[in-house]
Amino acid sequence: MGRLRIGSVVALVAVLLAACAAPTPTPAPPAATPTVAPAAPPTPTPAPKVGSPYKIGFIASITGPGASLGIPERNVAQMVQEQLKAQGGIVGPDGVRHEVQILIFDDESKNDTAASVARRLIEQEGVVVLVAGTLSGPSLAMVPIATEAKVPMISMASARAIIEDPETKKMREWIFKPVPENLHSAQMQADYLKAVGITKVCHLYENTAYGQDTFASAQAVFPQAGIEIVYGDAFERTATEFPQVEKVKASGCQAVVIGSIPPASALVNVAVRDALPEIRIVHGHGSCSPDLVKNAGAAAEGTVMPCGKILVADQLPDTDPVKQLNLDFVKAYQDFTKGEPISTFAGHAYDALQWAIAALKTLPDGLSLAEQRAKVREALEGLRNLPGTHGIFNLSPDDHLGFNYTDFVMVVVKDGKFQLLPRDQWK
Amino acid sequence: MRSPWVGFVIGVPLILAIGLLEAWRPFDLSLSTLTGGFLTLDTMIRAGLFTIVLVGLNLLMGYAGQISLGQAAFYGMGAFFSAILTVRARALGIPPGLAEGWAWPWLVMFSGAFLVGLLAYGIGRPILRLRGHYLAMATLGLGVVVYILLRENLGLPHLNLTGGFDGLQGIPRLRLGSLTLWPAWRYYFLVWLFAFGAIALGLNVVRSRVGRALRAIHGSEMAAESVGVEVPHYKARIFALSAGMAALAGSLYAHFQTTVIPATFGFGPSLELVVMSAVGGMASIWGAPFGALTVLLVQEVLRTQLRRLIPGALGELELIAFGAILVLIMLFMPEGLIVWGLRRLRGRRMARGTIPAGR
Amino acid sequence: MVRGWRWGERAWTKEGAWRGGVALAALGMLALLVLLGRRHGFGAPEYLQFLLDGLRGGSIYALVALGFVLVYRVTGVINFAQGAFVMLGPMLTASFYERGWPPTPGLRLALAALLSIGIVAGIGVAVERWALYPARRASPLTRIIITVGVYLILEGAALLLWGPYAKVIPSFTTLSLADPTLRFGALRIKAQSLWIWGALGVSLLALALFFGRTTLGKAMRACAVNRLAAQLMGIRVDAMSTLAFGLAAALGAMAGIVLGPATRPTYEMGLELGLKGFVAAIMGGLVSFPGAVLGGLLLGALENLWAGVTVAGFKDLFAFIILILVLLIHPQGFAGSEAEVERA
Repeated sequence: MGRLRIGSVVALVAVLLAACAAPTPTPAPPAATPTVAPAAPPTPTPAPKVGSPYKIGFIASITGPGASLGIPERNVAQMVQEQLKAQGGIVGPDGVRHEVQILIFDDESKNDTAASVARRLIEQEGVVVLVAGTLSGPSLAMVPIATEAKVPMISMASARAIIEDPETKKMREWIFKPVPENLHSAQMQADYLKAVGITKVCHLYENTAYGQDTFASAQAVFPQAGIEIVYGDAFERTATEFPQVEKVKASGCQAVVIGSIPPASALVNVAVRDALPEIRIVHGHGSCSPDLVKNAGAAAEGTVMPCGKILVADQLPDTDPVKQLNLDFVKAYQDFTKGEPISTFAGHAYDALQWAIAALKTLPDGLSLAEQRAKVREALEGLRNLPGTHGIFNLSPDDHLGFNYTDFVMVVVKDGKFQLLPRDQWK
Repeated sequence: MRSPWVGFVIGVPLILAIGLLEAWRPFDLSLSTLTGGFLTLDTMIRAGLFTIVLVGLNLLMGYAGQISLGQAAFYGMGAFFSAILTVRARALGIPPGLAEGWAWPWLVMFSGAFLVGLLAYGIGRPILRLRGHYLAMATLGLGVVVYILLRENLGLPHLNLTGGFDGLQGIPRLRLGSLTLWPAWRYYFLVWLFAFGAIALGLNVVRSRVGRALRAIHGSEMAAESVGVEVPHYKARIFALSAGMAALAGSLYAHFQTTVIPATFGFGPSLELVVMSAVGGMASIWGAPFGALTVLLVQEVLRTQLRRLIPGALGELELIAFGAILVLIMLFMPEGLIVWGLRRLRGRRMARGTIPAGR
Repeated sequence: MVRGWRWGERAWTKEGAWRGGVALAALGMLALLVLLGRRHGFGAPEYLQFLLDGLRGGSIYALVALGFVLVYRVTGVINFAQGAFVMLGPMLTASFYERGWPPTPGLRLALAALLSIGIVAGIGVAVERWALYPARRASPLTRIIITVGVYLILEGAALLLWGPYAKVIPSFTTLSLADPTLRFGALRIKAQSLWIWGALGVSLLALALFFGRTTLGKAMRACAVNRLAAQLMGIRVDAMSTLAFGLAAALGAMAGIVLGPATRPTYEMGLELGLKGFVAAIMGGLVSFPGAVLGGLLLGALENLWAGVTVAGFKDLFAFIILILVLLIHPQGFAGSEAEVERA
C-alpha cells in the first residue's frame, strides 16, 4: 500500500519534471539579430528580410478578485496574437519583418506574483515591452521593477499613481497606460449632473482601491461644478445588505452616484431603487458592462453612466473617428471568443497592445535589447492621434495617458440596453 | 544525520554558490538558466524571507503546540512599520537628516521587530489561555483585524499613514554605509544571512531550557505546570519571538519589493504560511526553508510550465493543481518533507540489517 | 480543557476581573453603536430595519455554521471546504436553470436546486472518501490543510467551468430578477428573506428530527460523543463520517441557493461566507447546533447594525472583534452544558 502511494507521488513529480525537461521555455532563439546577408548583388525580387522576434510580456489577473477584468484582457491578448501570426508579424521602417510573440502570464491578482512574473519576463524572456497589470495594486508593484530594468510598461489599470509619481507629480519615465481614470469619469459625471441641475448627491463606493478612488475623484471634481456630496460611504463588494441606503434617505440628496463594478454595483443599484424609487442614479465607468443589466434587471432602467465609446459603438455617429475601429474590434472579439459580451476591459487590453505594436513598428533592425526597449519608450511618447477603443490618444513626455475626458460618452440604460445619450439630450 | 548543524554544512555553501553565480554570471549563466527556468533568484529571496517567518512559526506551532492563523499580520506589521517610517518620515515630523541616513531603516527594522514582539507578548498573555481550535480562531481574528486596520488607514484617512488599499510605494533600498544592498544578488545574501541566523536561533532555542519547557508544554500543560514551568509566560514569550521574527522578515520584504499593500498580509497569506510550515515539517526547524522553497517552487512551476502541458487555459488550472498537490502532500507526507525525507534515508539503513533505534 | 465561567467562584479572581472587563468593553461597543446612530438621526424604525436585514445575512451564516458543526462533531475536522459547497450550490443551480428545460420556470428552478443539492452532496461524499478518509489517522491540522487544498480545487474548478462572471438566480417568489419588497409601515422586507428564514427553520427542524428520532441520526450522535464506544457498539463510524460530509455539503449548498437571488453568485463567494459561518460555528462552541444558529444570527445582526451606523469598511472588523471577545469571555460560546471536551 505504501509503495503504491509513493509510486503515485513519484509519478506525479516525474510528470511535472518531464514537462519542465526542456531548458528555458523560449521557443525561438535569443535576441541576437541574424539578419540576412547584406551585400548581395541586385536581384529582381529582393528576398524578404526576417529579423529577430519581438516579445511582449503580457501579465493579467486571470485568477483572483481581478479575474472578471483579467480574463477578457487575456482573451484579447490571445486574439491579437492570432492576428499577428496571420499577418506574419510586423514590418519595421527598414522593411525587415519581425515575428511578435505575446507571452501571457497570470499574476493571480497578487502583488508579489506580479513582481515575480515581471522580473522573470524581463530577465529571462527578454521582453521588449510589458503590457501588464489588470489591477492597480499589482501594477504599482511592477512599476519599480520596470523602471529599474528600463523596460517600458503599459498598464491596463486605472490608478493615476501608476503613471504619475504622487510626490513629484511628474510622469514616470517608463510607465504608460491607455486607461481613463476615475477622474475623467467624475468630470463627465459632474458635467452631466450640472446640466440637469443637481446640486446635492450621495456617493456610494465599493470598499476597494477602485471604489475609493472614485470617491476621491468625485471629491476633487464635484465641488468646482457646484455639486455637494452630502453623504459618502463605502460598501463591501460581497455585501448582501445595504444599510447605507437609510443614510441616503436621511441625507436628502437628489441623486446617488455609485462607484463600483458589477455585480456589486448592480446590487447597490437594486437596494437604492428599492428604498428610493424616484431618485436619479449615476454609475461610474466601471459599470459599463452588460453585467450591470443582467444583475440589476429593471432596477437599472434609466440609470446613466460615462462609458468608453466601445460600449455603444454601433450608435456612434458615422463621423466619429473611432467608430469603425470599435465595430471591427467588437466583431473580431466576439468571433474569437465565440460570443462573449464585449467589455471595456477588453478594450483597454486592445489599446495597450496596439500602443506596444505601434511602438515596435518603429524599431529598425539590429538594435540590442536595451536599445530596443529605450526606443520603444521613446516611440510611445511620440504617439499622436492614435485611435483606440476609448478615443483618440495623444501621448507626450508629459502625458503618458493621452486621453481627454470628453472622449467619454454618457450612456443610459433603456429596455435593458445601453443607449447613447448625447449632450443635447441631458435633462 | 544526527546533528542538525549538518544542515548548515550543506546549506550555507549551496546558498553561497547560488549567490556568487548570480553576482558574477560567468558565461551569462544564472540560476534560472541552469535550472531550466525552474528557480529564479527572486524565488530564492522570497524563500529566505519566508524561512525567517517559518522558523518562528514552527517554534510556536510545532514545538509549543500553539496554532497561529494570523502570522501574516505580524509580517505585515513589520513591513508597514518600515514603510511608514521611511516613506512617511517627513509627514511624521522626523528630521530629514535622520530619516535619510543609511542607518535609519536598520534602526526602524530592529525597533519594529522589538515593538511587534512586545505587542505580541501583551496580546499573547490573554489569548494563549485558549487552546486548540479556539486559539486558532483568535489568531485568525487578530490577523483579520490587523489587515482591516491597515487597509482602512488605521481609521485616520486624513493622515494617510498606510496608504489605504494601494499601500505605500517608494520604500528605499537598504544601505550599509555607502554600499547599497542592491542589485538583487546583494540583497539575496543579506536575506539568507538573516535566514541562517534565524535557523541557528531556532535550533538554539530548541536545544535550550526554553525548548525543553516548550516541549513539555506541548505534551501537557498541566504536567508542565506541575514541574514548575511557568506556562503562560513561556507561551507568550515564544509567541512574542515568533511575532518579532515575522516582523523582521516583513521589514526585509518591504525593502525588497519597495511596495507594500495590505492585501499581502490577510487571512489567505496566513494560511499559506501554515501550509508551508506543514509541508516542510512543523516540528522541525529545518522544515522552514524546505517548506518555503517547496511551496514557492510548486507555484512557480505550475505558473510557468503548466501552460506547456495544457495550452490555452491558464490560471484556473494552476489553482486546481496547487490544491491537488497540497492534498497529495498532506496525504502522503503529513509530517512534512524533512521528517519524510529523513525517514526514507534511515529506512534504507534499517533495511540493511541494523537494529532500529527508538524514535 | 474548556474553561467554564461560573459567577460565584470566579467573579472576584483575577480571571473574573479580566472577563468582567471584556464584558464591559462589549457593552461599551453596544452603547457606541446607539450613540453613533443618533448622529444620523436614526430612530427605532432604522435600527429595526438594520436588524431585520442583518438577520437575513445572519441566517445564511447560521446555515453554513450548521454544516461546520455537523462535520466537526462527527469527524473532528474543521472543514475549510464548506465555503466551496456554499458556492457550488447556486452556481450549479443557475447553470441548470439557464438550460431552459423544463419550460415552467418554477418547476425548472425547483429541479435545478434539487439536482444541485444532490450533486454537491455527492461531491462532499467524494471529498470525504478520497481526501479525508485516507488521512483519518493524521493530526487535525493535517486534515484541516487537506480541506484547504480541497477548497482551492473546487474554487479553481468553478473558475474554469463558469469563469469569473456572476450568475443570476431568479427570485423564488416571482421567478424573475425583481424580488418584491413587502412593506410593514416603514419596514421593508424582501420576499427572498422569507425563503431564507424558512429554509433555516426547515433545516433546524429536519436536523432535530433526524438526530432525535431516526436510528441513523442517533448513530451519528453516538459517533460524535465517543467514536470508539460507537464503534464498539457496532456503528460503522467511517460511514457516519461520509454521511456527515454529504449532509454538511447539502446544507451548505442549500444555504447558497437560497441566498442566490439576494446576491449574484460568483466563483469566489465561498471564502467569505465560509469564514463568517465558521465564526458563527465557533460562537456555538463548534458543537452546538442551536448555538451555531444563535451565533450566526447575532453575528449578522450586529455586523449590519455596526455597518449601518459607521463607515462600512469596518464591518468585518466588528465581526472579528466580537469573535475575539466571545473567545476570551466564554470560549464554549452558546454551547453551555453541551460543551465537549475539545479535541485539540
